[in-house]
Amino acid sequence: MLKTLLYINEDLASSIALRYMAYLNKVVPIALYVGHVEEADEKEQTGTGWVRRAWEDGVASNGKRLVDRMLRTENIDCPLAGRPKIFVGDRETEIIYELRSGNYDLFAQGYLNTADPDSFFSFISSSLYAKAPCPILVVKNLTVSKKCALLCADSVSPEVLVEKSLPIIGASSLKIDIVYYKFKELEDLKILDREEGGSQLRETESLLAKAGQSVDGVTVITGTPEQTGDFLKEYALVASTFPGRKSMRMQTLANSLASVLLVR
Amino acid sequence: MKILVALDTKDYSRKILKNVARLAENTLADIIFLGVQEGGTKPAKSMEKALLKYQQDVYSHFSPDESPYADFSSQKWQEKGPGDWIMTFKGMKEFRLRIRTGSVAKQTIAVAAEVESDLIVIGCGSKFGCEWDGEMNVPLRIAKDAPCSVLIVKHVQKAGEIVSILDQSVVSQDSLEMVNQLVTLHDAGLKIVGVKEKKGGKKDKIEKRMVDLLKYYNDRGISAWIKLLDSKDVKDYVTHSSREAIVALWMGGKESLVKKLFSRSMVDKLLETTRSSLLILR
Repeated sequence: MLKTLLYINEDLASSIALRYMAYLNKVVPIALYVGHVEEADEKEQTGTGWVRRAWEDGVASNGKRLVDRMLRTENIDCPLAGRPKIFVGDRETEIIYELRSGNYDLFAQGYLNTADPDSFFSFISSSLYAKAPCPILVVKNLTVSKKCALLCADSVSPEVLVEKSLPIIGASSLKIDIVYYKFKELEDLKILDREEGGSQLRETESLLAKAGQSVDGVTVITGTPEQTGDFLKEYALVASTFPGRKSMRMQTLANSLASVLLVR
Repeated sequence: MKILVALDTKDYSRKILKNVARLAENTLADIIFLGVQEGGTKPAKSMEKALLKYQQDVYSHFSPDESPYADFSSQKWQEKGPGDWIMTFKGMKEFRLRIRTGSVAKQTIAVAAEVESDLIVIGCGSKFGCEWDGEMNVPLRIAKDAPCSVLIVKHVQKAGEIVSILDQSVVSQDSLEMVNQLVTLHDAGLKIVGVKEKKGGKKDKIEKRMVDLLKYYNDRGISAWIKLLDSKDVKDYVTHSSREAIVALWMGGKESLVKKLFSRSMVDKLLETTRSSLLILR
């Protein structure tokens, strides 16, 4: 079972993420924990000893109410592995601490899909994402699909992509496709011959075969990041290594309607 | 539900009938077929013939036992007023044929208001953009001025996706259902695109609206993809989407951001670029 921490807030992204995890649980056995951090205003953080503890308890109970409200509203068909984890303090510090001390296999968080790649990049380049000890699932949409994709491109290390993604997707009943992406300004997305994927694609296929993982389909596509992002919507999730800021893969992942599994 | 279908004798009108029949079947709607002729003291033969043929085409979609409409029997045109003729078939649901004289856009809007229709369906040619009998502004005028939702069908082929653009305005139950119907008719995916003002003041409201919509469609077994756009990006996004998808614009009340963004010229441009249909929801 994948020990997973899902961070939730009271918003649309979390609403989608909760339901998505319930779906994912049907294809990958998950031990799901939900967490939330109450970030109090620095000016409010006064006092020591019991005064501070009482203040923290008060703030934490606000967080607990929020999480309870979300869980009640969404009423997801997925049992939680433990009570919701509510922390008080800096969001990123608290989550990193929990991920490390709890030895999680996966961290998941909702992200409201926008057309702005910068917003996506700043989301995935935060210190939380940089320091997280496990793969991160950015849940963008509730895609009910039986397929997932490994996103390959020239800048991707096949070893890292395969080795780090497999503990998550290899444990699932999802069929695995490899999508090799090449950027080109085109009117419409174009499917190329498999040979166009070159050595990176061959290596990815061979690593998957070595790991005893069958591949359902291989597609080499070329087009704009927007077109490719739209193409990926057929997948429950798209696994990728962390992209560089200016790479076309970053733009593609930003435009992906499917959820993104980031590994390093 | 009441559907008003504006028709003439051209090919684009004939082509939409299959969609109208399926829509009628799925929603059990009252149907009004409206033909508009320039003038005259009695219905033009060509218009009479066309409407009766169209009615037959819709009837043929239903098996006789399951049709909600009355049998196709010999009826006569009743004069409702000067330049206004009507033929009514009353079954479990009502099917009316109506011919009026005057301008197509004006008469369609007037009848829609009079019968309180929920949806106007109209076809258009694609030779020069989206024209009706050679006139470019008929579908546009109906889309802009109608008191209810309007579906303009330019090409009847299946669309792979329905892209619904909404702002913070209240979304009516009928509009939700119409999008649901389009998704079913086309066996298409649904993308819900929320538009927020650049200042971001109403983001929470839009998010709440999107949560409601997502739940509504998920409960009906329709999975929807969500996207949130800044108002400055939405025109390009919609223009691009309209090439392949059916765009549904939620043009709510006076405060509607989508209504402000999609001025007359913008809707005109969409009608020109779309390769399928455009749905204006009210």
